[in-house]
Amino acid sequence: MSGQAAEGQAAGGQAADGQATGRQTADGRTAGGQATGGQTAGGQTAGRQAAGRQAAGGQTAGEATGPGLDGYRREVRAWLAANLDPRDDDAPARLRGGDAANLSPERVAQQRDLQRRIYEGGYAGITWPAEFGGQGLTPAHEEVFAQESRGYVVADLGIAGLTTTRVCGPTILAHGTDEFRRTHIPRMLSGEEIWVQLFSEPGAGSDLAGVSTRATRTDADDWVLNGSKVWTSGAYYADYGLCLARTDPTVPKHRGLTWFGVPLTSDGVTIRPIREINGSSEFCEEFFDDVVVSDANRIGAVGDGWTVARTMMVFERLGGDPDEAPRHAGARELAPDLVALARRVGRQGDPVTRQLIARAHVIDVVKEQLDAYVAAQAESGTANPNLGSYSKLAAGTLNPVRASIGLEIAAAAGVAWHPQDTEASTTALNYLNGRILAIAGGTNEMQRNGISERILGLPREPAHDLDRPFNELRHN
Amino acid sequence: MLPGVTADQRLFAETAERFIRSTCPVSTVRRVAQQEVQLDVGYFTEIGELGWLALFVPEEHGGGSPSGHPVLDAGLIAEQRGRYLQPGGVVGSNVAALAITLGGTGEQRALLDDLAGGKALAAWALGDPVGGWEASAGVEVRRDGAGFVLSGTKGLVQDAHLAGWFLISAAVDGRPALFLLPGDAPGLSVEPLAGLDLTHRYAEVVLRDVAVPASAVVGQIGDGDLGERLLQVATVLTVAEMVGAIGALFAMTLEHARSRAAFGRVIGSFQAVKHQLADLSLAVECSHAIATGALTAVQEQAPDAGELASAAKAFVGDAAIDVSQGCLQLHGGIGYTWEHDLHLYLRRLATDRVVFGDPAWHRERICRLHGL
Ligand SMILES: Cc1cc2nc3c(=O)[nH]c(=O)nc-3n(C[C@H](O)[C@H](O)[C@H](O)COP(=O)(O)OP(=O)(O)OC[C@H]3O[C@@H](n4cnc5c(N)ncnc54)[C@H](O)[C@@H]3O)c2cc1C
Ligand SMILES: Cc1cc2nc3c(=O)[nH]c(=O)nc-3n(C[C@H](O)[C@H](O)[C@H](O)COP(=O)(O)OP(=O)(O)OC[C@H]3O[C@@H](n4cnc5c(N)ncnc54)[C@H](O)[C@@H]3O)c2cc1C
Repeated sequence: MSGQAAEGQAAGGQAADGQATGRQTADGRTAGGQATGGQTAGGQTAGRQAAGRQAAGGQTAGEATGPGLDGYRREVRAWLAANLDPRDDDAPARLRGGDAANLSPERVAQQRDLQRRIYEGGYAGITWPAEFGGQGLTPAHEEVFAQESRGYVVADLGIAGLTTTRVCGPTILAHGTDEFRRTHIPRMLSGEEIWVQLFSEPGAGSDLAGVSTRATRTDADDWVLNGSKVWTSGAYYADYGLCLARTDPTVPKHRGLTWFGVPLTSDGVTIRPIREINGSSEFCEEFFDDVVVSDANRIGAVGDGWTVARTMMVFERLGGDPDEAPRHAGARELAPDLVALARRVGRQGDPVTRQLIARAHVIDVVKEQLDAYVAAQAESGTANPNLGSYSKLAAGTLNPVRASIGLEIAAAAGVAWHPQDTEASTTALNYLNGRILAIAGGTNEMQRNGISERILGLPREPAHDLDRPFNELRHN
Repeated sequence: MLPGVTADQRLFAETAERFIRSTCPVSTVRRVAQQEVQLDVGYFTEIGELGWLALFVPEEHGGGSPSGHPVLDAGLIAEQRGRYLQPGGVVGSNVAALAITLGGTGEQRALLDDLAGGKALAAWALGDPVGGWEASAGVEVRRDGAGFVLSGTKGLVQDAHLAGWFLISAAVDGRPALFLLPGDAPGLSVEPLAGLDLTHRYAEVVLRDVAVPASAVVGQIGDGDLGERLLQVATVLTVAEMVGAIGALFAMTLEHARSRAAFGRVIGSFQAVKHQLADLSLAVECSHAIATGALTAVQEQAPDAGELASAAKAFVGDAAIDVSQGCLQLHGGIGYTWEHDLHLYLRRLATDRVVFGDPAWHRERICRLHGL
């Protein structure tokens, strides 16, 4: 995971298609995203290059060019050389799984410092509005920075770094008050505030509008929060949570919701890591016991939470697969993790193994091409905002296939290894992590609902929960 | 349609579609397939006039492409041809024209005017009858003085019965070579095959000690780059035809799901059907995306063009089967009838999947291209 906070606003400020009364259809969920994190090399493809190529419709892309960009590129180069360390390409990727995967407080502090350096250099939030601490430049500028910084060590704030800049930040930019944005957006960009997604609850996941964490008004016109959230990626080292709460249980469920930015250091907040199937404890559960939240921390109007949620879900889907950030500027490699694996088990000449390796490679290529294609359509401005569901569903259906291919190539070596051989354990780890994007950030089924209803225009599911007050519905 | 198409390209594609709908719609393709009517040979001179066969031909021979990006323009035509299951080996004829343009002798180039205008068609005989697509597949070449003698069999040559000329891939002393032979070369015969696809016809091109002068060689013996370029172009144009067919088949199925009622509602309202349609549409979008990327890379002669072309064929080849099967499933009984157009698509797609390399062949090629 490269976690370049500077990559910022993937969705380019597009709000979701307006209706406030979405059903439990396209409900995406958390970008929980780190996909196949353990995959030392996953699809480290030339995705951005391909995006440029498609968008340019026949012009060679390679490097972003355009008026003013050459000068910008020179500035970026000089700044990077003077301020950041070059990256050691042979350094092992950080694995997602096992106890060691969790970020220590020291590491988080280091990464915050590094992010601050990038922010102060003027390279965080490159496309974000200048009045809120961004640079107000174009996606082409951002692309220049991404290309040039590939050879350097940039800040990696882990999964919560991504939820901060890909989901929480853009959602707040779209719906926060000026005051809130002026306070928090610069801190998000500088690494001072790490934000996580407090969406899912024990009783409501896909059915996001079914959350029951309660926010009630105090006499002082602030709010008191009671309830619990779960599966919150990275909460153990985060500062704030973007929290969806129920402010009115007596109206139909989509109408009684409101968003809050909740400081996780507040009295009454308890955070407990949850151990995942891969042995690490990246996601957490949180309990809110009479937590007081200032009304200044409300995001969007009271009762209008579903409008904000719709925006958030578009960002969440476009947030995509963090492991796909290309690590090399050069050519696409042939499934490097699997080629290395095949060599290790001596099967690189076996025709069946070669077919499997190429299958995985085709998966990497088609995901890269689909993302570029969806991005090119989004840039045209007239595209259906739900197209991101295709990228999400592609990752959710193809990542598990790719992970299984590793297991198939490794055979015996994939399921048992010498205790010290961490390299050998990555195949199993990838297998365990293969379905993350099939569930986190909106399950495959929810993407299929969204695609069939909002893109293909098929009839919506019959709903039993739209018109009755929330407190009269069956829920967990 | 490809994102980023220019106004000229859009007009080119729209004109193509209008021509097809008025001249050779699927109902006509079906009648030809059922041998109720012959394909009007005027079809080829008309598409020649429309410029579909001139894209890779230089201007001095009556060629040119609307956008100056012949691979992309040919891709747009291929997509329309796939949508409407158009007959004729347009891919093969275009590739032969490209070969002559890139490597033909002065005498060979004289043929370009006829190829560009659709007055003559050429076919590319590359593969052998059992699925090999290397230049050497199926044919042996013996030197004979200054000339050569070719013997063997090329398989799965698309619409060879319409072709007046054959571009034949072979190997001379282990080095790739291309020969351009007239259909009436002594010892060359076209042996029609029966097959799955009803909209294209396939044949073996049998070479029985065919004596070939040195002047029949296209390009240089041993010029692997030329053969590679032709394979890339043939592959991405076949993929583009498949993408057109896959899109049409999916649209037909979506329409069916919207209108067919069961249990008091349209079947497209059942989640089981909706989810299948969502998965099928993902396959359609992925196919479109990877075809776009591959066409663009081949147009630009990008370093990854060969790899992307093969990845596209491997992906779309598999997707073609999934989409065909899924669409048949969602049609129910009506999809299993001869009268319904669905099987025309299903048959063509399963065949196109193999033409110029099936997915497994392209996957192995990807490994080799990467030095594995
Ligand atoms: C690794 C990981 C990280 C995560 N990170 C975060 C995070 O940072 N923040 C956060 O808020 N959440 C996070 N999540 C939670 C995630 O968003 C939810 O798990 C997800 O939305 C599914 O909700 P659920 O677990 O309650 O499953 P459920 O909603 O109970 O779903 C169970 C099954 O039923 C299916 N289903 C449900 N409704 C329908 C329907 N209408 N039609 C068809 N099928 C349906 C689902 O597709 C699924 O297969 C994370 C999850 C994982 C695995
Ligand atoms: C080779 C063959 C032989 C046959 N022989 C006979 C015979 O001898 N006698 C006879 O009476 N019939 C026969 N049939 C007809 C067969 O039983 C029907 O085709 C079948 O029951 C499907 O009905 P349908 O064609 O009307 O499709 P539809 O009912 O219109 O179904 C179309 C699609 O919608 C799906 N669908 C429909 N309802 C639902 C739902 N509620 N939930 C989810 N999905 C749904 C179906 O699964 C299918 O994918 C034959 C069919 C074939 C192909």
